[in-house]
Amino acid sequence: MKKRFILALAIAVCVSLLAGCGGGQSADNDASGGKQEKITLTLWNNWSGQDAKAVAMRKILDDFKAQHPEIDLQVEALATDGLKTRLRTAAAANEMPDLFVMWPGAMTKEFVNGDLLQPIDDFLNSKPEWKNNFIPNALDDFTVDGKTYSVPMNLAPSSLIYYNQAIFDQYGVKVPKTWDELLQAIDTFKRNNVIPIALGNKANWVVQSTTFSTIADRVTGTEWFLKAVAQDGAKFTDPEFIKALTYMQELGKAGAYQDGYNSIDENQMIQLYTQGKAAMFIDGGWAVASLVNTASADLLRNTHITILPPIEGGKGEPQTTAGVVGTGLGVNKKLTGAKKEAALELFYALAGPDGQRATLDSSTLVSYKIDVDKTKAHPLFVELTELMKNVKIVPVYDSKLSSAAVEVINNGLQDLLMGGKPEDIAKRVQDAQAGAVGK
Amino acid sequence: MSNTQVSSQRIAGSRIASLKSWGQGFFWAILLIYALLTLYPLIWLIISAFKTNSEFFSRPFGLPEVWHFDNFVRAWKSSKMATSFFNSVIVSVVSLVLTLLLSALVSYVLARFKFRLKGWTMVFFIIGMLIPIHSTLVPLFILMKQMSILNTYWALILPYTAFAMPTAIFVLTAYLATIPKDIEEAAYIDGTGLWGVFFRIMLPMSLPALSTVTILTFLHSWNDFSFALVFISKSTLKTLPLSISMFADGFQTDYSLTLAAMTLSVLPTILVFLLFQEQVMKGMTAGAVKG
Amino acid sequence: MNASRVRRFIAAALLPSVILYALFVFVPVIWSAYYSFFNWSGIGEAKYIGFQNYAELIRDSVFWHSLKNNVIFVLASILGQVPIALVLAILLHKSNALQRFMRASIFMPMVLSSVVIGMIWQYIYHPQIGILNFLLDALGLGSWKMQWLSDPDISIYALLPPLIWNFVGLYLIIFISALQNIPSEIHDAAKIDGVSGARKLFTITLPMIWGTIQVAIILCISGSLKSFDLVYVMTKGGPAHATELLATYMYNSTFSTYRYGYGSAISTAIVLISLLFIGTSQWLTRRKAD
Repeated sequence: MKKRFILALAIAVCVSLLAGCGGGQSADNDASGGKQEKITLTLWNNWSGQDAKAVAMRKILDDFKAQHPEIDLQVEALATDGLKTRLRTAAAANEMPDLFVMWPGAMTKEFVNGDLLQPIDDFLNSKPEWKNNFIPNALDDFTVDGKTYSVPMNLAPSSLIYYNQAIFDQYGVKVPKTWDELLQAIDTFKRNNVIPIALGNKANWVVQSTTFSTIADRVTGTEWFLKAVAQDGAKFTDPEFIKALTYMQELGKAGAYQDGYNSIDENQMIQLYTQGKAAMFIDGGWAVASLVNTASADLLRNTHITILPPIEGGKGEPQTTAGVVGTGLGVNKKLTGAKKEAALELFYALAGPDGQRATLDSSTLVSYKIDVDKTKAHPLFVELTELMKNVKIVPVYDSKLSSAAVEVINNGLQDLLMGGKPEDIAKRVQDAQAGAVGK
Repeated sequence: MSNTQVSSQRIAGSRIASLKSWGQGFFWAILLIYALLTLYPLIWLIISAFKTNSEFFSRPFGLPEVWHFDNFVRAWKSSKMATSFFNSVIVSVVSLVLTLLLSALVSYVLARFKFRLKGWTMVFFIIGMLIPIHSTLVPLFILMKQMSILNTYWALILPYTAFAMPTAIFVLTAYLATIPKDIEEAAYIDGTGLWGVFFRIMLPMSLPALSTVTILTFLHSWNDFSFALVFISKSTLKTLPLSISMFADGFQTDYSLTLAAMTLSVLPTILVFLLFQEQVMKGMTAGAVKG
Repeated sequence: MNASRVRRFIAAALLPSVILYALFVFVPVIWSAYYSFFNWSGIGEAKYIGFQNYAELIRDSVFWHSLKNNVIFVLASILGQVPIALVLAILLHKSNALQRFMRASIFMPMVLSSVVIGMIWQYIYHPQIGILNFLLDALGLGSWKMQWLSDPDISIYALLPPLIWNFVGLYLIIFISALQNIPSEIHDAAKIDGVSGARKLFTITLPMIWGTIQVAIILCISGSLKSFDLVYVMTKGGPAHATELLATYMYNSTFSTYRYGYGSAISTAIVLISLLFIGTSQWLTRRKAD
């Protein structure tokens, strides 16, 4: 009895499966009926959430599908980590989709080295008004050996101080304009049982991206950093880097962060701020969207954004924040002919002037020279764009360092804040980067 | 025994009995508290699914002020859960059936027959239990790409089955070893063929072990994320864990939707477990073994 | 029943499974072990470097630290999950409603995905708003409060309760079916002989299910050594590798730092170490009579 039931179930399922597989096949063969063959395009992206930008991007995709019935657009939306894992696996097997969201810097370089991308210089040059309207140096991180492989679709300053003016006023603290003022502010808050700076470093890139990259740049200057990355005239064991690490450690020792910061993630970090328990938190431009979603109107009114103060004697420019131009789209090397044209058209829809405008309207910063629509955007976002007009972007560490060195520094910073020795950590970073560069 | 002795013993006995039952009652109360504590996290999950994001942020523990049933509706719609539910069911059920059939066959052979490579076969399968699955992601991807089964149900069913087999075989073989051979021997003498014995005697007798394997395998396939992430890239074939992860971008997690989605996806597993744990218990009291 | 029919049956029974398993499990594992001899980032060319990855592995302090963490997991499983499940199984083997409810509750964590479990326990352990610290405060034990998942010294131990909580139910079910498998004649014989209580437990019940206990121990070991999900979700192996496990280290090497060859070496090491542990446990728990 049981056996027959199981057998029947198995057969039924197999039949439905085969039907499913067969169904898939016939859809592809359908094209032979029409005059033109339908072009299939695959796009992998990370616009899977309910945040404004994802919604805006999906709308562009829907509009594109409506305008192009001859293109069969197959979109896969995944959360960022999942997308990265899938891209890596597909890359190892040389099975990339036609278009995919790509990160600038190290990732682009690796993919170019693996012969997976094709440059878009010709396409860019065919539309000069588009190409020239990007902020200066926007295309650098997508350019390898003189050839450009993508344009950025957003802008990600990673090191902004979000602070609660009400709490500042309550304790008579002014927005710190020097490093010492920052330390004083931290001290005042601590003594009054307010968390000075909320931190959620569980994902261990947070401290590195949001705080350390800027502090390091303030101390060492950008030029030194780029040389150290290339292992050409500077090393991570140099005194300026150790000094930067020491400043970072000083922040930790001053009690700037709440207990247990290594077990809390970014969301929970913002949570501490929205609960009114922390006076500040340091995060990237993307945090505006989170705040707007989760904070009370009152708190939002009192929230303002500024950059880290300058450090005396440092070689870095003071009006800067670490950051990276945002993600772009990689174009599969294997595309040719009609398919390539279709892909580039989609690219333009998403990353061209209209796409950039849509992104900006969804409260996400762009690396493109357009102004925000103050009537549509949230006041906090407008404040951010105004701030960004006067602030330059310096490289965030994980966009330039090799992935091995990024791992080391992320872990190293956790170690540093727990009391590790700057010299040891500096040496580990140096070894990792040297090994990756091949020296 | 004289009457007085009996009655005094009875009085003493009943005093001890009442003390004992007091102790027992207390003891069961502790156990009950333990059980409730283990249930609490699940209850917390379900309650939190009714909250809004800001409420979850400001009061993670505690009942929601407003019970937002629409969280579930939104989660269902925006992650196209109907599709992923269906896909998860297909993939989990088919791999389950395959696993049970194939593993039972192998276990039957390993437990009851002697043949030359028996020891090695056992080791061959057991090694599968030790493999961390992430190390096979890339090789499997390349392999299945070459077999052209990527982006089909088979891309998940076959690996799920293959990876479930070692544990299943292990559990089933151990179980079969404890069952005496008398019934089969009788059946052989009666003229029943090997296949007959397998289907009509071994399978029914192994019900408890099969139920254990069912629970394990189903859970594994239902909750698997890594394989589903990498081997399927067509949204129409997405499985449940992938749908749930949609709401958690690296930078933002929509908790209300994620929790609602998780709650929805947990319901079938609870159901499967409740159904099959009865089997596990029933198999024994039915006295199938004693005959 | 002639020998050739038996042989044909054995072949038919084994063949489909062997092929499926060999193709989808064995081949990838060998392939992965093959990569361990290369220096490969996963993209582009791979360079043959012989045993260099393994040499580096032996010198890698993170690897040994991860191994130590895995061993802690193994011990916690064998000394935590198994005895607790055993005790519970002995207490809860009846079929009344209360016991069924309790068995179901204890098993419930198994049905949750590790993402859910990770999130739940993260909130329990949350240093500011977590329930654990809150309870400690309420009970006046505020000085016992710790940064459960942040403090590198205790974080790995803080991961043990979720682990045990997660899996006790599984072993409970396995032991219950083993206990109920004991033929009633044995129970009758014991009653007649006047053996009961603790003596019965140790001289009759436990020996009768010893085989199952061995099975449970092997499942524990294999599960603990390739444990990944829970730790990855809760701490990602941090802070600063404090809770790193072999499997999380392997995952990071493969997918975060683009050192695919090295990651493969780690996973091959996991398999070999597991074999070693299981072999040892089998030898330690062997019984003279069968």
